[in-house]
Amino acid sequence: MKKYVERIKQNSLFLKMFIVMVVSIVGVSAAITFASVQMSERLFINTFSITNTKMINQISTNFERYSDAGITVINQAQRSEVVKEYLTDRSTDNLTIINHYYQIKQWMDSYYDFFLNYDGVNIVVMGENGRLFSSNYINWPVSESLLRTHPITLNAYKNPNRIFYQYASEMSEKLTYVEPTVVISKALVERTSNHIYGIIYISIREKDFRQMYAEYTDDNRDIYLLDQMGQVVSSNQSSSSGVKSEQFLKRIKEIEAEELAYNQVRFDGRNYLLFLQYLPALDMYLMNLIDRDELKKELVDTKVISLISTGIVILAVGIVFFIYRRFTNSLSGLVREISHMSKSHFNAYVTESGSYEVRQLARTFNGMLDELHEYVEQLLEIQKKKRVAELEALQHQINPHFLYNTLASVKFLVQQKDVEKSSEMINALIVLLQNTIGTISETNTIRQEVEDLKNYVFINQMRYGDNIQVRYLVQPESLMCELPKLLIQPFVENAFFHGFNYKKEGQIQLLIYIKDEQLICEVVDNGDGMKVDSSVLSAPKNEARQFLSGIGIQNVRERIHLLYGKEYGVQVSSVVGEGTKIRICLPVIKSKESTRK
Amino acid sequence: MRKYLFLIFIVSALLLVGCSSSSDEGKSGTDSNTITAWAWDPKFNIAALELAEEAYSGDEEVALKIIENAQDDIISKLNTGLASGTMKGMPNIVLIEDYRAQSFLQSYPDVFYELSDYLNKDDFADYKIAPTSLDGKMYGLPFDTGVTGLYIRTDLLEEAGYTVEDFVNITWDEYIELGKDVREKTGKPMLTVDPSDLGTIRMMVQSAGKWYLEEDGLTPALEDNEALEEAFRVYKTLIEEKVAGIHTDWSQLLSGFNNGDVVSIVQGSWITPSVKAEESQAGKWAVVPIPRLNISGGVNASNLGGSSFYVLNAEGKEKAAEFLANTFGSNDDFYQKLVTEVGAVGTYMPAAKGEAYQTEEEFFDGQKIYRDFAEWMGKIPPVNYGVHTYAMEDILIVEMQNYLNGKDLKTVLSNAQKQAESQ
Repeated sequence: MKKYVERIKQNSLFLKMFIVMVVSIVGVSAAITFASVQMSERLFINTFSITNTKMINQISTNFERYSDAGITVINQAQRSEVVKEYLTDRSTDNLTIINHYYQIKQWMDSYYDFFLNYDGVNIVVMGENGRLFSSNYINWPVSESLLRTHPITLNAYKNPNRIFYQYASEMSEKLTYVEPTVVISKALVERTSNHIYGIIYISIREKDFRQMYAEYTDDNRDIYLLDQMGQVVSSNQSSSSGVKSEQFLKRIKEIEAEELAYNQVRFDGRNYLLFLQYLPALDMYLMNLIDRDELKKELVDTKVISLISTGIVILAVGIVFFIYRRFTNSLSGLVREISHMSKSHFNAYVTESGSYEVRQLARTFNGMLDELHEYVEQLLEIQKKKRVAELEALQHQINPHFLYNTLASVKFLVQQKDVEKSSEMINALIVLLQNTIGTISETNTIRQEVEDLKNYVFINQMRYGDNIQVRYLVQPESLMCELPKLLIQPFVENAFFHGFNYKKEGQIQLLIYIKDEQLICEVVDNGDGMKVDSSVLSAPKNEARQFLSGIGIQNVRERIHLLYGKEYGVQVSSVVGEGTKIRICLPVIKSKESTRK
Repeated sequence: MRKYLFLIFIVSALLLVGCSSSSDEGKSGTDSNTITAWAWDPKFNIAALELAEEAYSGDEEVALKIIENAQDDIISKLNTGLASGTMKGMPNIVLIEDYRAQSFLQSYPDVFYELSDYLNKDDFADYKIAPTSLDGKMYGLPFDTGVTGLYIRTDLLEEAGYTVEDFVNITWDEYIELGKDVREKTGKPMLTVDPSDLGTIRMMVQSAGKWYLEEDGLTPALEDNEALEEAFRVYKTLIEEKVAGIHTDWSQLLSGFNNGDVVSIVQGSWITPSVKAEESQAGKWAVVPIPRLNISGGVNASNLGGSSFYVLNAEGKEKAAEFLANTFGSNDDFYQKLVTEVGAVGTYMPAAKGEAYQTEEEFFDGQKIYRDFAEWMGKIPPVNYGVHTYAMEDILIVEMQNYLNGKDLKTVLSNAQKQAESQ
């Protein structure tokens, strides 16, 4: 669990960028898809409504043409004496009947030509005398008994001056079956007395009526012709014909009130576009119902669009994933390396890989690291030089107290008139001073160093007596080796002044030899000895006056380390009551003079 | 990186191509087993076709698709279709009324598929062969008969003091005399006629072995046509003596006898189901041969209407021909069913020996009417209807009007002849 949290933390940059990018890509593509679908749909519906309006006008024209033919025939029938004669005559004489029949048939045949372009038309007249004439019986095989009480007839009687367009549902009587029909009907009225002597019907089978608009319909485009009562007079949806639809009627009234070009409606859970046209010729509404969802399906293939956008989104996300992964991987690798930098003391360089920016970053970082190292080295060098200079400065100083004491001793000898001894002492002092402050060289050969020591010891013995004997055991091979000036002197000095506080006499041995490629200088005394601790190498300050130079033994180790490195140094071993042993390890450096020889 | 980009490009290209080609093509092509047939009467010839599909026992599977059209529509569609010379949208099988058959056969000689090899022409009623053949080759499969009968109300005859026997094998003049008496006693006319339809004339003329045309089927024979003159005279007498009433459409004809307003009907056998529709009149009807014209060659049998199946000379013609031959052309059992289930009397003579033809119809007081019809069918004088039946009739309707209104018979027919010749 922790591991995962850690991983997430490490990849948080990638995750953040990736998530933001994915969200934007998905969002943008979804928004664009949605907007374009909406836009194209709106555009389509607008253009569609224009063509649809034209179509509706065309259909209206078709209806009007039919209606005009019907009205012409009705008007002619109204005026025709032949028709009136046939419908009012009550004679039973066969010949008269035949003649009337013959005449009305002639009349009808001539007017039936108005409907030559329409299938399924029948012109029927029915008179008060009970006579009925069908010009094309098969198309509307009604009998007088069926028609007499039919609502169509009753309506015509009620409003004799009006032309009705009505739907006559299917009827059957014995073996005859009457199909659903659209009927234009009008009462035939005698002008002077307003007496109704018959009715004229112009019927067309509903399925033939449909042909006037059938070409404009398809699975998604339905046409309904509704009368004022909301009854569907004709529809390409044959199951709807004759149905009274309250919901259609309600809609129609609403749309009429709002005067919209089209309207979006919902019937039976589906969305429709509804175009409405009032047909004054028929006193009916032409309703064009278009399945909006299906239309949309035709217009936009949602599946393809969503497939394409999904594909593009996946592609884009994939590309983003790869690019970001590469980018952030190198970046987080860099971050990891940098954060681990302190462990390796800033010595490990970061790897230069990844994108240009990251590479540049790593390169700069490595450059900085280089410079840092350089500066630190320079600093160390300066420090070292400074320290060396300090030590040099110290080494060039001769403790004035030493001089003062020595000179006081010489004066004392002169007063005793011991000329030999005093001149010897002055000689030793001169050589000592010459060797220490007289030469600029920082190093001495063992030979000189030992000579200096001998002079120093001589001076001390002259001053303090010779209870403490110093013996020099110097390997001849080591004589020409070099060592820093006054390196051994402080230890001898230390042995002189601190090694023999309780024992009043003793011996100090100085051993110099080369062993294992190292120059070993040992100062061994058989004095008081001491407990070995860090204080050994620190000189007591109150006795400063006894020192020869400013370099104390406390500086020796530091000096050796500075000059030769850590593998060289000073070892102290001491046993209380038995003495102290100082061992100085130095590199073997042959003097140039000796090599020249 | 470049490698990835290339890969992505290819993948996206494939994706887009895949999307655009996803629309599949609709299945097209018609089933070669489907035979289309045009007919007009759902209760009669369409029902017969449906029965035939059931009865079909041929080797190959056949799916029959029957399209209902009004007879006039079939005529006009055939005319427009065949005149344009294309068989597109045409059916395999079409039903054509016998009166019109010759006009199609002669106008469109290669359009119909010869059926001589599929049928035995001796199996069918003699009078049916001429209208369905051209140059001695059979093109039509004779279907229903229009064999005529005199349907008569036995109870009304009884009321007037007559029996059915009095009306058997009589002449039209005798029928008129009897009718006058019956009308006086019952107050009802013997029959009704439609002044705009000369079916009655047609029937009378054929019963004497004559037609509106000469035997060549082309030359008008209206003038000096003894049978036609006699038929005109009888027709006028029927109306003048009020033996006949008037009906102006089919429903008036039906209501006339269904309501018991007429004593008899002279029509083709196809009127039988309509007569039987009025169940209250069961047992009160009998069918006898129609009256004959009192001239030489006049018989008591005729034909009115009737139609035959034709196969169009187009793809699927063999299948359609085999289908017809297997059912209407040879299947006795099928004809029995046709009688019992549809009430249609075919013109396939061997079927008359079947059981269904021996059925005693209760509605007709136990009379074996189908056997009788089959018997009379054999007596129908064959005539060549020619190509102008209805054109002749249009002329005759007008002249009949003139004749009824008092013009001389010879004159009106002479006028008619002139008009027919000038056409």
